[in-house]
Amino acid sequence: MEKIEHTTVSTNGINMHVASIGSGPVVLFLHGFPDLWYSWRHQLLSFADLGYRAIAPDLRGYGDSDSPPSHESYTLLHIVGDLVGLLDSLGVDQVFLVGHDWGAIIAWWMCMIRPDRVKALVNMSVEFHPRNPSVKTVDAFKALFGEDYYICRFQEPGDIEEDFAQVDTKKLVNGFFTSHNTRPPCIPKSVFRYLPDPPALPGWFTEQDVCFYADKFSQKGFTGGLNYYRAMNLSWELTAPWDGLQIKVPVKYITGDLDPTYHIPGTKEYIHEGGLKKHVPFLQEVVVMEGVGHFLQQEKPKEITDHIYGFFKKF
Amino acid sequence: MTSEVREKKIKTNGIWLNVAEKGDEGEPLVLLLHGFPETWFSWRHQIDFLSSHGYHVVAPDLRGYADSDSPPTHESYTVSHLVADVIGLLDHYGTAQAFVAGHDWGAIIGWSLCLFRPDRVKGFVSLSVPYSPRDPNLKPSDLFKSFGDGLYITQFQEPGRAEAAFAKHDCLTVMKKFLLTTRSDFWVAPPNTEIIDDLEVPSTLPDWITEEEIQVYADKFQKSGFTGPLNYYRAMDLKLQELEILAPWQGYKIVIPTKFIAGDKDIGNEGANGTIKYVKGEMFKSIVPNLEVVVIEDGHHFIQQEKSERVSQEILSFFNKLRNITE
Repeated sequence: MEKIEHTTVSTNGINMHVASIGSGPVVLFLHGFPDLWYSWRHQLLSFADLGYRAIAPDLRGYGDSDSPPSHESYTLLHIVGDLVGLLDSLGVDQVFLVGHDWGAIIAWWMCMIRPDRVKALVNMSVEFHPRNPSVKTVDAFKALFGEDYYICRFQEPGDIEEDFAQVDTKKLVNGFFTSHNTRPPCIPKSVFRYLPDPPALPGWFTEQDVCFYADKFSQKGFTGGLNYYRAMNLSWELTAPWDGLQIKVPVKYITGDLDPTYHIPGTKEYIHEGGLKKHVPFLQEVVVMEGVGHFLQQEKPKEITDHIYGFFKKF
Repeated sequence: MTSEVREKKIKTNGIWLNVAEKGDEGEPLVLLLHGFPETWFSWRHQIDFLSSHGYHVVAPDLRGYADSDSPPTHESYTVSHLVADVIGLLDHYGTAQAFVAGHDWGAIIGWSLCLFRPDRVKGFVSLSVPYSPRDPNLKPSDLFKSFGDGLYITQFQEPGRAEAAFAKHDCLTVMKKFLLTTRSDFWVAPPNTEIIDDLEVPSTLPDWITEEEIQVYADKFQKSGFTGPLNYYRAMDLKLQELEILAPWQGYKIVIPTKFIAGDKDIGNEGANGTIKYVKGEMFKSIVPNLEVVVIEDGHHFIQQEKSERVSQEILSFFNKLRNITE
């Protein structure tokens, strides 16, 4: 872990903290919510050993990267702009891209609007859905799952931060990372008053890991990460030019079968029966990992490394 | 001249656009995008010419103009919105790839189309306004500040200000001030002066436009007002976003075949750092490598009207060349 280099890169008007190691073709790892470069600690080391330059930033709003104050600065176009600037500053023309959770959404959109910068993509946990021109993103989730659905609860600036603040950060982190609950995450305010103690830590997530995340999020807060959700409807408006356009990059998609996203009604059919492939015609492989939850790159680091490497080495 | 132009309303990107059309629907589609403060009528000569030379010509009133919808807030007028409007039009006609020409704001939309959806553009002709890549180190508001408070773009920012200034003149006069301008500076008004008061109306009309034609514009703007068109400037969002939505295309090369046409006396061609010098320079060539440049002597801003035959020929020959058709 000590061999991982930490640098700050100026890109798209922000300072971005980047963890990197190794030399060779570049693999860019994009974390999700509420996560950090640290999610990829295992893959950074393994890919350096495999002869790649592995790079994992703290995305805008997270960790040691800048957090512009307004949620309007967190659209898909802003984050992709950050990454294009990062690649330019590294002098890298094309990357292998890996995304998880929000990082997967960003990765889909980077492939949509700048396919020329991506050699191949391994994406995890969140599949690509084309924009529905009739319904804004957040409005669609509200109609589907109600106003206590986490995405809806995350909308009002300050509201969910107040709820989070009632809970010890370490307990919150443990709850986020280790849950294998597959129900759609609905979090009415009452949930935070009586949050049960999480079960004992699983083997793949140590006390040290909990402390690392708890420290960073105590310092930084959750608002930066929450701003991605708050910018969803604005991103919906701004991505109208790409309606109907397919993602034309070679893709491998991986999910755990205990990931709540995998259990959203219709998702399994969408992934396995051609829906996803219609929009991502170069989708080459789909992997569902049994008994694995949302944070699969931490739960099964070796398997995930093997899956990613097995795909990228084809190019 | 415009009697055989068909006008119809098309739903695109959540709004209705009024679209003028001429020519055989089976022919390749040419999309013509007007500027500020104009309507599809600015393209009347090219609509006739191109449609009689083997093209299906489509010219919308853009969002905010004339008989098209005008969403109320300036946040609905970003280049994302404008490009999505255009994509919706192409989808309506089932056109996989179109020939596109844009003038002024229409050129900005065209360049953005080349960035966002190069897959939908066969070739692009830009009149008057070149591609200006976003400079991450120079915010638009700082650039504009360097021209002083009298810069028209700055004056157009505050909701209501320009509308009130324009309203002191009748619409016909407002249109004459814009259409007939021969100024080549970047339109900076003296202190305490609104740009609309600073623009002059010549005592006689030039030979390329009639009173009746200017009245066509005046009638449209009398009805629709100027807020929609001004919103394009307000959506540059100089206080917050500063065109940040263009960040993903930092350093992007536009390799689609393009042609730039401008009059040598167009706005911004005065002085050593003018637009034409920029377009012919090394920097521009490095980001728009597949480019032809045509400078029309004695041409001013509303070039496709002032030098209609020349512009029509230049557009036709460019698109024909891309189809391997020679005269």
